[in-house]
Amino acid sequence: MSLAKPAMRGLLGKRLRFHLPIAFALPLVAAAAFKYGVTEPRKQAYANFYKQYDTTAEFNNIREAGVFESVRPTGK
Amino acid sequence: MFRAVRLSTSGIRSLTQTRPCYSAPLASRCYSHAKVETDEEFDARWVTYFSKPDIDAWELKKGMNTLIGYDLVPEPKILDSALRACRRLNDLASAIRILEAVKDKSGPHKDIYPYLIQELQPTLIELGISTPEDLGMDIL
Repeated sequence: MSLAKPAMRGLLGKRLRFHLPIAFALPLVAAAAFKYGVTEPRKQAYANFYKQYDTTAEFNNIREAGVFESVRPTGK
Repeated sequence: MFRAVRLSTSGIRSLTQTRPCYSAPLASRCYSHAKVETDEEFDARWVTYFSKPDIDAWELKKGMNTLIGYDLVPEPKILDSALRACRRLNDLASAIRILEAVKDKSGPHKDIYPYLIQELQPTLIELGISTPEDLGMDIL
């Protein structure tokens, strides 16, 4: 039983034509997924937190805790 | 002149987006006016190269190195011509090395090397060349 002639030319070219577009597309997809799955939610979370943040109230809380050196707690 | 294949990523991109018009392993951009060499012409050129009666050792090595640089596994007739050149140069080591090289060149395509050995069997017997497998040199 003799073997049939296999494909012998352009094997690397064929492989690259298949794999290189994937090699470029996959990292782009991964980067996009990370950006919109991780970094954007994080940025939103920070934005939401600071939208509701009352700086004066927080300042007074920390002041009463007695950790500032520039202002003393409102002594009582 | 020898022209090895150069597939840059932008080249591939442009080739996949236009219609692929290459079949030869030599550089053939779609927008070149150069005549594309057919596979038969390529093979014939290399058979002639190795058939030179007074080929010297350098030319043999150079030819094989260049040939291995292409994106193809050489045809049996080219290898036959190269093995006969080794015989003329009394270089059994290079003959066996050629067989190792084409096996390596096949990469993951395991069906190429057995086919080549099948096609080269008459030549191997005539010239008394052992395959790396015969010599136990195929095991690392």
